[in-house]
Amino acid sequence: MRWILVLTIPLAACSKGPAADLPSIGEARSLGAEWALVNEQAAQGHLTPTYVETMRKQLRRQLQSGLASMTQPDSPYGDEARALLSEPDDASPEALRRHVRALKQIEDSLESA
Amino acid sequence: MKLGDPLKLVSQLLDLPILDKDGRWCGIVDDVELEGGPGKPTRVMALLVGPGAYEGRMPGFVFRLVRAVAGGRIVRVPVSEIANIASAVKLNCKAEAAGLHRTEDRARAWIPRWGAL
Amino acid sequence: MNPLELTLGIMTAVGGFVDISELVFAAQAGSIFGYALIWVFAFSTIGIMAFGEMSGRVAAVAKQPVFNLIRHRLGLKLGLVTLVASLLSTVITCAAEVGGMGLILNHLTGAPYLLMAAASVAVLMASMWILPFKWIERVYGLLGLLMIVFAAALVAIHPPWDRLAEGFVPRVPTGLSAKKLLQFAYFGVAILSAVMFPYEAYFYSSGGIEEEWGPKDLLTNRVTTTVGFGLGSLLAIAILASAAQLFGPANVAPELPGSAALEAAIPFGRTGLLLALLGMLFAVAGAAVETCMANAYAVAQFFGWEWGRHKKPWEAPRFTLAWIALFLLALLIAMTGVEVMSLVEYAVLFSIIVLPLTYLPLMLLAGDKGYMREHANKWLAKGLGWTYFVIVCAAAIAAIPLYLLTSGGQA
Repeated sequence: MRWILVLTIPLAACSKGPAADLPSIGEARSLGAEWALVNEQAAQGHLTPTYVETMRKQLRRQLQSGLASMTQPDSPYGDEARALLSEPDDASPEALRRHVRALKQIEDSLESA
Repeated sequence: MKLGDPLKLVSQLLDLPILDKDGRWCGIVDDVELEGGPGKPTRVMALLVGPGAYEGRMPGFVFRLVRAVAGGRIVRVPVSEIANIASAVKLNCKAEAAGLHRTEDRARAWIPRWGAL
Repeated sequence: MNPLELTLGIMTAVGGFVDISELVFAAQAGSIFGYALIWVFAFSTIGIMAFGEMSGRVAAVAKQPVFNLIRHRLGLKLGLVTLVASLLSTVITCAAEVGGMGLILNHLTGAPYLLMAAASVAVLMASMWILPFKWIERVYGLLGLLMIVFAAALVAIHPPWDRLAEGFVPRVPTGLSAKKLLQFAYFGVAILSAVMFPYEAYFYSSGGIEEEWGPKDLLTNRVTTTVGFGLGSLLAIAILASAAQLFGPANVAPELPGSAALEAAIPFGRTGLLLALLGMLFAVAGAAVETCMANAYAVAQFFGWEWGRHKKPWEAPRFTLAWIALFLLALLIAMTGVEVMSLVEYAVLFSIIVLPLTYLPLMLLAGDKGYMREHANKWLAKGLGWTYFVIVCAAAIAAIPLYLLTSGGQA
């Protein structure tokens, strides 16, 4: 999967779509990271169940809205955002952070392009 | 400042708040009525208060919008009712006597008189 | 100077300093730029101290509320432009605060966000109806002191204090790309706007008249604005610094207002989380009340109506109807479903544009010996006032281009 990303990033960086989607990619990355942080703290018993449930709902809704606003939803970053969305609510922080790292890689390479 | 003293209409009178003899807020000096003419002494005859007095002080289309929302009422307060002009115009009569509290009184009918400490 | 009154005044100012905009921008600024924007918070706080002190002094000596001055100094046409612009910016700010309350109550209770926003407005309106001015200000300001949990949380996570202290030194980080520089500038403008919101001057000055301040209260005014706002600003800086320590390394740039509560949950667990959410709730509630009242003050003062919560609601009927209508309008905006974060950005954008029109008449009057006698602006107030006025004008010009170029701070 990572090799596919590495090969397609230069192609993606050349088109107008990815540049326009940069804010959405950053938002998805941050939302994924917030979700991972919430799940990590929940596992340590630091959060109330109500807070965890409401944060997960809001994060998921925001991710869906971000994905809907991407100009190229079928791009590698769109696939990554969709994969993040398909994770269960109580996904492990590490699983969520794998998606976050992938999105961060794409974000950084687009910013430096 | 006392009546009879010269005053700067724009910086010392126009758009000043008006307080009645009991210290209640009862409007803003929206315009003034003058007596006199070019080359003759000019005196302030009355203060004009109300949205109708905005005509001439703003673009026509804005005034028409204001009039549609707030009406075109003008209340004329004769200069004889003015006690003092400083940071506000102080009247020597009550707001009701000057015709300045009608809208406030109409609004009061909508407010229940209970519950407040 | 009554020590108890002074202490309560300072504590109210501290608890009432942070609102939803400062919460959001402090957390984002810290997570994206580390400690580099601390100096902007400190710098902006000096600005609000200067103008807050002026607005309180004008209330105490000239006994003139801000919007009377604006009408008198700018005239009807420009005054009306200022009134409409400030109403727009403050209504949007109020809607953001109402939305923020709805979100926080959703996190506390699990009840639907829109229902909680509506319930919040009902409770706020009831409190404004029942309580006289002093108690409205005190209740929300003192309960907002629960925000101190953020300062405690910062200490508990052992930040690098030397790097944090360096954040107070004005500088732009080196090695930033052009996009990141623009984003840094956007955050600078946004923080300046959020700290120096025009509604603060309207509310503070009108509050001084509500409390019948006179020249004997000038020292209270000076101490409240400097110590109170200064300590309040430290709370906002604590939120920024915790975000730098906890969110930045985790790739989090908080997209939700509720994320800030994690800063207290991480060191203190559920107790920290609940204290943070309650502190945020009351701080934002206080800001909702202030923005609504500031708007009602503006309209009533501009048109010369009876105004003030030192009167019973039926003694100032048009003023009462104004704040009720404005609260309902803010709720309506929140209920359109516009994201609270978007409302915060629009509020900050509109407010910085209105700021020059608000502060210029205030500064001119505070320096006018005809009104202020021996209490007119001296060299420090003049120097600070004009310096900040120039900076605010520059920020007002740069605000919209920066917003567009950075897609609202996203770079």
